[in-house]
Amino acid sequence: MGETLDRQAVIEAVLFVAEEPVPLAKLQEILGDEEPAATEASVRALALDLEGPTRGLMVQEVAGGFRLATRGEAAPWIQKLQQVKPAKLSRAALETLAIIAYKQPITRAEIEAIRGVAVDGVMRTLLERGLVRMLGRKAEAGRPILYGTTGEFLEHFGFKDLGDLPTLREIDELIGAQKPAGSPPPAERPADASGTDPEAPPADASPEPGPPSATV
Amino acid sequence: MSYQIKLDMFEGPLDLLLHLIRERQLDILDIPIATITEEYLRYLAMMQELDLEVAGEFLVMAATLIHIKSKMLLPPEELAAGEEGEPEEDPRAELVDRLLEYQRFKEAAQTLGHLESEQLLLYRRGAPAIDLEVEGPLAVSLFELLRAFREVLRRAEAPAQLEITPEELNVGQRIVTLLDRLAQESPLEFAQLFAGSRRRAEVIVTFLALLELLRRRLASARQAEPMGPIMIYRTVERVGPSGPEAAGSGQPGPPAPHQTGTTEE
Repeated sequence: MGETLDRQAVIEAVLFVAEEPVPLAKLQEILGDEEPAATEASVRALALDLEGPTRGLMVQEVAGGFRLATRGEAAPWIQKLQQVKPAKLSRAALETLAIIAYKQPITRAEIEAIRGVAVDGVMRTLLERGLVRMLGRKAEAGRPILYGTTGEFLEHFGFKDLGDLPTLREIDELIGAQKPAGSPPPAERPADASGTDPEAPPADASPEPGPPSATV
Repeated sequence: MSYQIKLDMFEGPLDLLLHLIRERQLDILDIPIATITEEYLRYLAMMQELDLEVAGEFLVMAATLIHIKSKMLLPPEELAAGEEGEPEEDPRAELVDRLLEYQRFKEAAQTLGHLESEQLLLYRRGAPAIDLEVEGPLAVSLFELLRAFREVLRRAEAPAQLEITPEELNVGQRIVTLLDRLAQESPLEFAQLFAGSRRRAEVIVTFLALLELLRRRLASARQAEPMGPIMIYRTVERVGPSGPEAAGSGQPGPPAPHQTGTTEE
């Protein structure tokens, strides 16, 4: 039957069943396409079809794959069905997550140096929710654990990849504008962060500003 | 037995400093260190009076502030001793850098928060409908609450000494009373919670009960604008029109979906 079904319909059905974003390569394999471009064209065509006024779903490109999600405008009706609003992360959790996202790989002590407060409870929550994971250990005394964000993090905030993170540059510029020219560079830090280069990009993924992207 | 509120999910000393800077409309790059130290210590004393669990980091910051303040009092020549030609370093520089860096991430966190709100409206398969693991809803900061609380305290009858008598005033009971009040009327303005509490100890117990309600997510505190009045909302499991984003007509639920004209089969 698969041969007679429209390619877009196949993609729609697959995305409906999948509980995780489906990578393009997987879709290509399912469709048996020679070129990923052919698969991608069909995904985009499906996304375009779903933009019609009679549709409640959309294709969302997130965490390195595609998924079906309900349209934002449908939320009030869905909440009538579920009676429950999804809970948001606490301010402390968001702050900790922001530090990890932009500075990964990062140790707990480095996070605490920035927040100025212990993060044990918050880290436990983030680890349990799968938003943060251990990346390895840092080559320094005590071999502290290095943390980074997960695919679940990308999904939670609707990012395609870490390049999707909003850039800190605007915030920097905002602050830099207030800063007098002769102020000391932030490199003059106390010794507790010694041996680390907090500005170094993460090893496996770069949170450098990329083109902003939303849904397909 | 005192009733100790855990503050670990609340803010740290850098938040308190940023709060004070905003409240006093100070220039973050030229902080009047004497003023800010005094204010900081005042908040700290209030937190200790309330027997809030004050994290050690708050005390370390207090020591740092006092240290900077004393360095500022030294004549500049002594500071510059030994480094000729070098511009003297402002004793505040390191603290300012920390504040600026922290503020950056606070703002990044806000952006993430907005994105999260958008994404939470996009429902999908396999996503948990609710997550009770998330911590308390405190749209206003603890320090905003403390500021408002200080106002209420000021108006309360002020005995020479602050004394909490748990025998007659019980935070647990007050929690129940507050919940009852919120069940009847929500939101309530912060100050209204204290109507009828004339004694200082009573005011304090009410405040502690409120903090506990916020921590347990049974109530939430919101504010339309910084320094504006704080409203206390009862947290309901059912989604009603009481949310801030549904603040339109009193009509519960979404508007009726409109018919699209396509009738092709």
